[in-house]
Amino acid sequence: MPSSLPSVERARPLLGTTVAVRVHGLDEKDAHQAINEAFEDIALIHRLMSFQESDSDLSRLNREAADRSIEVHAATFEVLKLAEEMSQLSDGCFDITVAPQLVALGMLPAPDSRREPDPQATWRDVSLEPNHRVRFRRPLWIDLGGIAKGYAVDRAIELLRARSAVQACVNAGGDLRIHGPDSERVLLTTGEFRSDSLPVLEVENAAVASSGSVQPHAADSPSAPHFDGRSRQSVSKAGFVSVLAQHCVTADAVTKVVLALEDQSEPLLRRLGASAHLYDSARGWRHLGV
Amino acid sequence: MRGQFLLIPLASLAIVAPAHATVYLTVEQAQQLLFPGAEFVADNRTITPEQEREIERASGVSVRNRTLNLWRVSTGGWFIVDQVIGRHDNIPYAIGLDADGAVRGIEILEYRESYGGQIREPLWRAQFIGKRNGAPLALKRDIQNISGATLSCRHIADGVKRLLATHAFVIAER
Repeated sequence: MPSSLPSVERARPLLGTTVAVRVHGLDEKDAHQAINEAFEDIALIHRLMSFQESDSDLSRLNREAADRSIEVHAATFEVLKLAEEMSQLSDGCFDITVAPQLVALGMLPAPDSRREPDPQATWRDVSLEPNHRVRFRRPLWIDLGGIAKGYAVDRAIELLRARSAVQACVNAGGDLRIHGPDSERVLLTTGEFRSDSLPVLEVENAAVASSGSVQPHAADSPSAPHFDGRSRQSVSKAGFVSVLAQHCVTADAVTKVVLALEDQSEPLLRRLGASAHLYDSARGWRHLGV
Repeated sequence: MRGQFLLIPLASLAIVAPAHATVYLTVEQAQQLLFPGAEFVADNRTITPEQEREIERASGVSVRNRTLNLWRVSTGGWFIVDQVIGRHDNIPYAIGLDADGAVRGIEILEYRESYGGQIREPLWRAQFIGKRNGAPLALKRDIQNISGATLSCRHIADGVKRLLATHAFVIAER
């Protein structure tokens, strides 16, 4: 470890998962203070972008943005902007307007909206306007479940850096980012145990996010199905992917694209400076991207 | 940014100790984080069968343990240590309640499910120690992070619902 100061790690239930924050290089009091602030910021992102909570920015958009433009928190606007970029880069494979499909499957509760979503609506119908205002060109429902977790992790890491943490890790249920001079190892849990070796990403100043499982329908599996935004079809292939990227928001969003496109996601990964590590029982490990 | 994919052979690893677990906080540390500077007086309660039925009816969550590990906080409010069952193991956590029963904060004390479903495997229940490049390798320290199939926090959310009902029927003076 980079110093003789203690390592402090805590975990709270947030973002629909367990979020762990670990800090090295601060004295204990400062470490706890920094971790408190990180948790508070993650809780803010949760409140703003929750699909389930009726007073979140997201729920207000799903209720009202088809009728009039709605002002949202700067963080919500930033996530919508990042989601738009990801939709452009992935040619619509990543699409936050697939929420009606998730509702239909019972993965999300139906929002309290007077208008039914237009089945033709896509990410192109989410209009980002000046002064953090958002308007939907058609009635639609968005879900930020595929990107907000990574965004929250990035913000928490920036906050811990600003508090002078030498080494830090924020892990939101497997979507994580590591900051600092030391490399750390991240175990990839594919859902399949192999007794001969451990799949590991050894990373330094990088983010890792994973999606899928070789046992997608395991009892109590928290993983929601992923949708290809273009076909609106569930990505039902039993496969696992970990994406390594500089930012967790990129890694988080790109996992869904890689599960849908597999080898065809290579150009996107290269453009983003990211790599993907796919696993399925038949083919073993495959590696794409930089 | 730097990153490299590795498959670490397990052959050289020997099992030495039981159950991998990450300990985040002691009870005392959690108390001071949730109620800084306060003093705590243990006030354990036993939930009666009648209270158990009321709690289950109000929260929709079953009461697995009738012993309530409760502390009265000198600055007002309550501190409870509870457990929920995760996939295979208990997850101990602490909750602070204001005097009126509102949640002040939640801290997970210990996490034993870092390896997700794989924890069932006897090998995974062990903390491995082996050799890598001639140096001792303590796996728990060597691999600090897990990415992949993880636990949802639904179990903890259910536990909190149960404790809020417990506050209403057992703790709050009526």
